[in-house]
Amino acid sequence: MYMEKSISELHDLLKSGKATSKELIKESLVKSHEVQEKYNAFVTICDDAKDTPVTDELVSGIPFGVKDNYSTKDVLSTGSSNTLKNYVPFYTATVVEKLFNKGAVMVNKTVLDEFGMGGTGTTGHTGIVKNPWDPKRMCAGSSAGSACAVAAGVYPYALGSDTGDSIRKPAAFCGIVGYKPTYGMLSRYGLFPFASSLDHCGVLTRSVGDAAIVVDAMKGKDSHDMTSWDSSNINLTKSLTGEVKGKKLFYIKEIANIDNYPHASKELREHLENFHHILDKFRNLGVEIDEVSIDQTLLNAIPAVYVVLSCAEATSNMSNLTGIIFGPRGKSDKITEMMKEHRTNGFSPLIKRRFVIGSYILQKENQERYFKNAARVRRLIVDKMKELFKTYDGLILPVSSGPAKYFNEGDDAIDENTNVLEEHLQIGNFGGFPSITIPDGFINNLPVGINITGNCYDDANVLNLAYALEGTMNYKGQIAKEVE
Amino acid sequence: MGKFTKEMVDDYADKLLIGLTPEENKMVLDEFEAIDKSIDVINEIPNISEVIPMTHALDDFAFELREDIAEESIPIDEALRNAGGVEGREIEVPKVVD
Repeated sequence: MYMEKSISELHDLLKSGKATSKELIKESLVKSHEVQEKYNAFVTICDDAKDTPVTDELVSGIPFGVKDNYSTKDVLSTGSSNTLKNYVPFYTATVVEKLFNKGAVMVNKTVLDEFGMGGTGTTGHTGIVKNPWDPKRMCAGSSAGSACAVAAGVYPYALGSDTGDSIRKPAAFCGIVGYKPTYGMLSRYGLFPFASSLDHCGVLTRSVGDAAIVVDAMKGKDSHDMTSWDSSNINLTKSLTGEVKGKKLFYIKEIANIDNYPHASKELREHLENFHHILDKFRNLGVEIDEVSIDQTLLNAIPAVYVVLSCAEATSNMSNLTGIIFGPRGKSDKITEMMKEHRTNGFSPLIKRRFVIGSYILQKENQERYFKNAARVRRLIVDKMKELFKTYDGLILPVSSGPAKYFNEGDDAIDENTNVLEEHLQIGNFGGFPSITIPDGFINNLPVGINITGNCYDDANVLNLAYALEGTMNYKGQIAKEVE
Repeated sequence: MGKFTKEMVDDYADKLLIGLTPEENKMVLDEFEAIDKSIDVINEIPNISEVIPMTHALDDFAFELREDIAEESIPIDEALRNAGGVEGREIEVPKVVD
């Protein structure tokens, strides 16, 4: 199966003439339809995808997937929302365009939680996305379709976006790699905005090496995104030496120590035991790993800070969804009623809830208590991390409280104490830090993940650490197989 | 029952041009109580009011003005193609002023 191979392997096959772009696309499309039937991962499958010439660009001729909150010219782009169920953009997002220019071939658009606002993969307007390891469980979200498809072997990579942990948690639940670079390394032009100060573009792959290749192909300053920056001095792929001796990492005691979870489930206990076992493997490579204690009050505030800031920004960003310029129109002959009908019928209950909360938070009389105080705590958390990054190359932590959850479990924490364990990846969004999740084991035959987060602009170091750790385990390139 | 009411929720929703069913209203109301409780966690942090709010992921953006050069703009027919009502080169909407 071609599509179970890495980008480098496929590139070699294409260059040597042992495979053609047409063959790869055909296989990827057949697999897309199989995965759609079983797991409902796609909004659109591009059956008319055309092969491209094979060049020295590693991604040339190779199929990939795009989360459906990226604008793609002439291809339906819904954000998995009924408010944009018929929206066909007239331009393509910068990062997708860069891949097109290098000869990459988009074969489908993947399902997300509506506009990226959710962590379950269950709120897209085309229905829930099932986990390819166990269809009774969720992929997490919001990049659920992308994670599902990469894990199932539809192609070697798919684009995701990450506002809280929307690339990095689905990667863990699906047993693959999820990487969000430093804020601004990838242009957000053409990504539907959710919470602009937290939104990151990124990628889901089956190896750290592929993540480096894809981000190398997409990165760069973009005049359409004033927050993007020049990263031409960074070559992630060439940075993957595996040499990590003398590097220093820390983990947060309050999150990763089993003693903090008096009611720990068997899964949580195994997950944390595995985490510490993996740290020992890392230490064997010469990496120093310390336990660091951080004020529990600050850690406990992480989920609230995220909810307040993301809801407030989302409320503002979504104000252009009126059904007037795009999206299905309301039927009323009064313009206000027309817009209200569009929004009332188009948004799902879950994101209506976020918007109303955002509206409340942004009222003048509430801004100090909610919005500004949340932004203040954001700074305290980020400052604490930056202080630690002066000593350490990165933060290493387990992702979530175990493997993928059953659909009826929701994404609510199973134990009040696990709230921070479930949500700590949001730290990476608060500070715009580069952050990567890789698979680090199995619990009940289901994959679990580990995350490394480093300082801004230090992507090459973070990726190389992940690359070295990946090399000590046997999960690189793994394809999901349904368990009983 | 806390300080939030069903009427408040409907009012905030209405400001966003969003209508809520009774079930949706209750869901928001319940969430308000939870968020308010968690905001208390934030307000417990000592001297919080002295911290400068962080409004973006990076503090070191290089803000640069673009050169003042005219660029190609969006073709009108492209800009209009997703609109539900179009008349000529303009988007058609109901009469706004009575």
